[in-house]
Parts: sequence; C-alpha cells; structure tokens
Amino acid sequence: MLKNYFKIAIAVLKRRKFFTFISLFGISFTLTILIVLTAFIDKVVGDDYPDRKRERSLYITRLEEIGKDGHSSGTPSYYFLNQYAASLKTPEKITLFSGFSGTNTYINNKKIAVNYKYTDASYWDILEYQFLEGKPYNRQQIENGEHVAVISDDMKKEYFGDVGSVVGKYIEADNIKYKVNGVVKSLPITSYMLYSDIYLPFTVAKTDYKHKGYLGDCMAILLASSKDMVSEMHEEYEQAIRKAPLESDQFTSMFSHADPYIASYVNTGNEKNSGVTIVLSVLGGFIFLFMLLPTLNLVNINITRIMERSSEIGVRKAFGASSRTLVYQFIVENIILTLLGGMIGIVLSVIALYFINNAGLISNLDLTINFTVLFCGLLVCLVFGLISGVYPAWRMSKLNVVTALKAQ
Amino acid sequence: MYRHLFKLIWNKRKQNFLLMSEMLVSFLVIFAVFTMLVYNYQNYRKPIGIDYENVWVINYSGDIGLKDIDSIHTFYETLIRNMKSMPELKEVCFSSSNVPFAQVTIQDGFDYNNKHVNGVNSYTVSDDYKDVLNVKMIEGRWFNKTDAVSRYQPVIINDHLKDEMFGNEPAVGKIYGNGADKNKNQVIGVVQDIKFKGDYSEVGYERFRRLDSAGLRWADRFLIKVTPDADAAFEGRLYKLVAGQMKNSHVEIEYLTNKRKNINYFALVPMIILSIVSCFLIINVALGLFGVLWYNISRRRSEIGLRRAIGATGRAVSWQLVMEAMILATFSLIIGSFFAMQFPLLNVFDLSAGIYLTALGLSILFIYLLVLVCAFYPGKQAAAIYPAVALHEE
Repeated sequence: MLKNYFKIAIAVLKRRKFFTFISLFGISFTLTILIVLTAFIDKVVGDDYPDRKRERSLYITRLEEIGKDGHSSGTPSYYFLNQYAASLKTPEKITLFSGFSGTNTYINNKKIAVNYKYTDASYWDILEYQFLEGKPYNRQQIENGEHVAVISDDMKKEYFGDVGSVVGKYIEADNIKYKVNGVVKSLPITSYMLYSDIYLPFTVAKTDYKHKGYLGDCMAILLASSKDMVSEMHEEYEQAIRKAPLESDQFTSMFSHADPYIASYVNTGNEKNSGVTIVLSVLGGFIFLFMLLPTLNLVNINITRIMERSSEIGVRKAFGASSRTLVYQFIVENIILTLLGGMIGIVLSVIALYFINNAGLISNLDLTINFTVLFCGLLVCLVFGLISGVYPAWRMSKLNVVTALKAQ
Repeated sequence: MYRHLFKLIWNKRKQNFLLMSEMLVSFLVIFAVFTMLVYNYQNYRKPIGIDYENVWVINYSGDIGLKDIDSIHTFYETLIRNMKSMPELKEVCFSSSNVPFAQVTIQDGFDYNNKHVNGVNSYTVSDDYKDVLNVKMIEGRWFNKTDAVSRYQPVIINDHLKDEMFGNEPAVGKIYGNGADKNKNQVIGVVQDIKFKGDYSEVGYERFRRLDSAGLRWADRFLIKVTPDADAAFEGRLYKLVAGQMKNSHVEIEYLTNKRKNINYFALVPMIILSIVSCFLIINVALGLFGVLWYNISRRRSEIGLRRAIGATGRAVSWQLVMEAMILATFSLIIGSFFAMQFPLLNVFDLSAGIYLTALGLSILFIYLLVLVCAFYPGKQAAAIYPAVALHEE
C-alpha cells in the first residue's frame, strides 16, 4: 500500500513542477537554517574538549553581592574561592583558575596579541587537554614559582612558526620570558571559560591574586567522585555560601552557585534573571516565528494542490473510498514531499557549514553535523509535514462528491 | 469601482483567509526587521564626535609599587616625558577604564533642581583628553590647570544631558550637588555627543570629571595620539618603555580603530543574520503568493473569458485582478498595523515613536510592492485569455 502511495506521490509532484519547486524550496531552506543553528548550539554547548568529565563537574563562575543602593556582580576572587570552595568536603578534586586577559608581544617587528590565563596544578588533572608536545607544569614547579607556561598550538605557530618541538624554548609575553613546558590543542573562543593562548601558574601572576576582596577574576570547577554525588556537592556549596560572612556592611545578601556546565555558561550573574530562561525564551521565540511563515506557506500551497485534484478525489469517493483513506494517503504524500525537501536541506546545510568553517569567522570552531543534529532535522521535517498536511487534508475530506465531479 | 472590489473580496474572505494570514505574518516579520534597520541607521547617521584614527589605548593593571601621592606624581611625570620624547607619539592623556569603544560601563546619577536622572556615564579624564580625541565643545571650555584650585568640582556634560537637565538655558555656570562647596559640582562646558559604544549605539548621558593628583593612584588607562607612520617597531619600543617602568603590571596596547570594529560587530552581526534570514523568508512567501494567485486566476477562466467577450480590455481585466490582490493585502495590513501600532503606543524597548512609524510606513510599502509584483504576471496571463477558448464548453 505504501509503495502505491509513494508512486502516486511522485506522479503528483511531477505534474505540477512549479508548486513542487516552491514547497521543496521552502522546506529545504528552512531546514538548512535550523540545522546550521543546531550545529552551532551543539558545538558551543556540547563540545566537551577538554572537560570530558562534565557530567560529574560543577562550575562556579559568578558572585553577586546585593546592597541597599545597588549590586556588584562578577567573577569571584581567588581568596573567596579558596575560603569557601576549596574547603568543601564532597568534591574529589577542585581547581581554581582565572579568566583570560589580553596582552601583547612584539617579536621580529611583528605584534602578536596574546591571551593569558592563570591556573593551579589540579587544572590539568580535571581537564583532559590534548598535549601535542611536552606536559603540564606540576605542583612542585608552581610552588617554586618557576616561570613556565603551557601554550596552545595556534600560539606556537604564530610565535615560533612551523618548527619542531618548542618544549624548553622561551616565549616572551607581557614583558616576561616563560619556558614552554607543553603545547596543547587550541580551543575556540566560544569555550570562554577554558580558552587561552598561554596558561601560566598562579604564582607568577604580577598582580596580588590573593587579595582579600570577594570579587576578582577567578572561577572554579568542582569534580565529584561520581554522578550521584553532584547534587550533594551543589548543596554543600550552597550551605557554605549561606554561612559565609558578607564582605562589608554595604551589602545585605550574596549569591553564588555551583552549576552544571550549560547553566554556568549562560549565567549573567543576576539572581533574578536566570541566564538559562533568557536564552531559551529568546531562542524559542525566534524559532517559532521563523517556522511559522514557511508552515503557513506550505499549508497554502497544499490547499491549492488539493483543490486541483478535486476531480480525482471525487472519483475515488464515488468508488467508495472513505474520507479516512484519502486523508491518510494525502498525509503520507505530504510527508514524502517534506522528507525529500529535508534531504535537499541536509545537502545544502553540509555545503553551508563547509563555507562557514572555511570563512574562519571564529577560529577553531569546526561545525559538524552529528546524529543529534540530523535527528532534530528529521523531526522538524516530520512535524512540518504533519502540520502542513492536516488542515488541507481535512478540507479535502469535506469535498462533496457531486460538486467535485462536476465539469470545471 | 473600489467599493465593488471590496465587496467581492469581503464575500470571499473565508476562502482567502490563509492568504491573508500569510501576508499578516510576513508584515509582522518585515516590521521587526525594518524597526531594527531604521534604529541602527538613525544611530549611524549621527556624527561619532571624536577623531579615533591614530589613537591607541594603553591598558595597565596592578599597582606601580608606590604609595605616596608625590612619588606617584613624579613617576607619571617622568614616564610621560619619556613617552613624549618619542617622535611618533604626539599627545598622551589619562582616562578611566570606559575609553571609547570599550565594553566597560561606569554609571551613576545626576540631580539638579529636584530632577534626578539615572544611567549617566561617568568619565574621569585628564586635561589633554580633548587634544588626544579632538572632542568638540559647544559651550564653555575643557578642563585646564586652573581647575585644580577651583571653588567647586568642575564638570563637563554632553549635549544630550544638557537638554535633559537644563532645557534651553545655558548650562555653563550651573551648580548642583549637596554638601560643602568643594563637594558641589559646577558645569564648565558642554561637549558634542560622543558615540562611546560604537557607530550603531544610541548616545547616552555623559559627564566628564577632571582627574586630579589624588586620582592618579587609581589611573589605569593611557590614551595616546600617534603619527600616521607609527608602526609595530615603534609600538614595541613604547611597550618596552611602559612595561619596563611598571614591573608589577600587565600592559596591553590596543588601537581605537580595532576596538571600534569589534564593538560594531555586536550590532552588525545580528542585523546581517536577520536580514539574510528574512530575505529567504520573503522569497519563500513571494513564490507561495505567486503560485496561489496564479492558481486562483486560472480557476476563473470562464468568468474572465465572459468579461472579455462582452468587451473588457485586457488591461482592465489584469487591473481588476491585481487590485483584488491589493485589497486582500489591505485587509491584512489593517490588522497588522493595529498590532504594530501597539509598539510606539506602549513605548516598547524605549525606542522613539518616530522609528516605529518609519518602520511601519516602510513595511506597508514593502508588502504592497511584494503583492503587486506577485500578482502582476498572473494578471498579465489572465489578460491574454482568448474569449473563444475560455468559453469553450469543456
């Protein structure tokens, strides 16, 4: 039966090539945009290089202090995290690290912009960076205050050029020479928590990173021993914050959370407006409006096509086909059409992603289509097909046999 | 004639419901896109207010290792003298961290005559700021050395803030603030608006304070004006000079031209993406409209044939068909305008009503044009129908 439907569907599509073209154009283009968007979100949120232990990690990235006249919000300081996060009992491991900042280096009359970041020793244990050369600096080197650095391979290419191993060589940044201990694979800047060109130990920081204010430039990752311990870890940090004294009299309350990756990624540091809800609602609204127009268009086109085939429908009804059979057939035809459009859309999105990757707008951001993305795309196709087919099919089943068969 | 057409369409409104709703949704999408475009364009047209070419920012963080205010003063004097001895460096001044095109915002309030304004951007700068950036004064003067010992705190505001606080009165000389005389502020000049957050941003309220000797303790930005032939070699020497003097500090040199490009991306990228997406959506809609109209017309062949047989010209027939499509569009536009008018009436997003009304006008024009183009070809087809062929018994 389905085979017959398939044959009929193809014959019908071939009959009115213009309408077929319009429908396919609409579906494939909408799908391309949706797939590119999904690939982008998937990469930004789902890419788990280098934090492969994401399911048992919690991230502390924000501290908000609220007073009578206003509020301060930002990343916590090393002192604050050392006091209230490093002293927790539940986590198996904790790392403290700074955000990335920019500086310059001038070599061979060329200016290189360098992003640098400070970390402690456990940073390299919790995160699984891929070391192309050398190895990370260890606790001993940090305690000795040695001027060592781990650099990204993009930085290596820009600074040293395309040479062999640079381990042991010196790289100058921020007017200080550091010895290269290792080279890691680069990250895209969209992983803003872990991105940097140069990773340095805290002990060589120029500024007093241990200053006693609560706000500073640090973040922390708490690693639980297993997935089940994560909620306990979250609770313990909440308790610690509740018991912690406020920084000064001008503040009345203080908020900080250890959140899973996505929540902390979009956290705006405002307790009242959750980052996740803002992102979801904006994205949801945009996608809804965006899909509304092609759907309406498809419904329109489908109604036109149905009315065209009214004599064919009239004949079948006269021969005893129930409304149900006809509706079923039409919906199957519609789904076949949308799946066809979907396949064209996937091909177009592969081409589009190839161009986006090569345009290099954000370096190291290689968008790929994986199964999640394909599955979402297919789901969208089916939803499209159903929505745009149901109303016209219902209209068609209401056709009066006699009127339909009447000479046009 | 029009009343007749209106009646025809009104009778067929249920049939054409889908078509009208499609036009309505396209109108809303186009309205949103045009609002964004008009807003950005209007902001773009205003002058930027400063000369940012050949101006660099030197960020330095951390302390310079001195506690006593006099030694800090001497340190900076020596450093600036050394910097100015380089031939490629023309002017140098201090600024707070909210330099032009930076992502930093420092704001507080402004009170005068029982009127309170929030969100006033506060810039603490030194006397040479005017020469480095070439800001234009509308009233009064910029800071100079005599302000070090003035009775009140000298303050300079921008045109936008002056209009808000003082209306048409001259602002120079006005005094505001509470407390002792030396804590009160006196306006000594009004400066032309500067678009600190990029070409596409709205100008806000701006107030400049003079950086005094005590404020040098917290200084962390230099703004320097260089000659056009300043190159990476000069920059390297400048970097070594500054970083060598400030051993406990990170030093970074940025160009205002780059910062401007980066901050403009925040406005440009959403605009470009939205325009591309809407472009495709509209092509989609246009094709759909075209197909549906063409099919509708092909169904009315006998009616058209009859009219031609009785003596209507081809032009009259196609005109009628196009007009019917336009009236359909008018119905949806009336509903759409009703929704769109809520935006300026409710002052959504704090945009001025002029922007919304311009966008409304442009969108209405756009939709009419779209429907005209889509109905034109089918209309021409209809006009080419031969009466004899059309009336032929099927």
